Amino acid sequence: MTYTPDTTAAGNGGNFEPQQAAALLDQATVQARRTFTPGPPLLWVYRAFFVLVAFGGYWLSVRGRQDPYSAPPGGLLAVIFALVAINIGWSTWALKRAGAGVSGPAQRKRQAWIGVMLVAWVAAYAVTLPLYHASASHPAWALYPASAPLMIVGLAGAATSAARRDWPTAGTTLAIAIIAAVAGFGGPAGAWLIMGIGLCAVCLGTAAFKVWQQHRSVVRP
Amino acid sequence: MTGDDLDPLIHVPTRLRIVATLAALPDGDTLSFTRLQDMIGLTPGNLIIHLRKLEDADYISSEKTRNGAVSITTVALTGHGRTALGTYTQALRDLLGGL
Repeated sequence: MTYTPDTTAAGNGGNFEPQQAAALLDQATVQARRTFTPGPPLLWVYRAFFVLVAFGGYWLSVRGRQDPYSAPPGGLLAVIFALVAINIGWSTWALKRAGAGVSGPAQRKRQAWIGVMLVAWVAAYAVTLPLYHASASHPAWALYPASAPLMIVGLAGAATSAARRDWPTAGTTLAIAIIAAVAGFGGPAGAWLIMGIGLCAVCLGTAAFKVWQQHRSVVRP
Repeated sequence: MTGDDLDPLIHVPTRLRIVATLAALPDGDTLSFTRLQDMIGLTPGNLIIHLRKLEDADYISSEKTRNGAVSITTVALTGHGRTALGTYTQALRDLLGGL
């Protein structure tokens, strides 16, 4: 039920019925939750598409090959970079929109969390340089980029989210870390497929959870 | 229980929207006056009147800070306000359950 303001009641609560109040309370709460949510459901649906295309595309390019230890083809790399850029741009916009005009301890904790996650992303990929310098074996080269970065980022995200009692984010990031750990057993080609399907499922699950979280009624159980 | 048992300070469309909006923020976080005004869609004068009533009852707190020549007003739901909204919501549930 959507509340439509009655001009005679507006402002003073003249004939403001309990049913109208319940509808308005739910409506205002949903609107506020949508506004203050830094990761909207649609962004998570996009991320599901993004990981499926990126990891699935790489799996398609290496599956069945005797030597799957090569870089992805140029066309796929260009698509992945474009999808990453859209993800970063959309995420940044959503974060700014959710945090506009908001300040306080939870906001500062969120900013610190973002800082930790950025460091984790950089550290996870920076390790590839020493690996290259140490002439790491082909299996290490093939498995590391497929699973290790997201295992590191997922664990860092789960630990820091749990510390600030953000259990939904802790659950999502822990699921990412578990999928990355399992993918490591999938072999140099299979790891990409496991990551693509697993992360897509996590992103879609998170999107569904966010929709439920935003729309659940505060009045009706 | 009747509709008269509902907290008269919150049981007003505009103030209910204000309180529900502030309650969606994590405990302790504040919202700028201009952002709240954008979300509620009221004129500044109208919003101030409602905020003053809520502040007088200690349901919200407001703070004015100066950043150079610009002054920023922020508002937040107090613990008392959060409890009042919880009581109001429970009263609504009881009323609707009995209808």
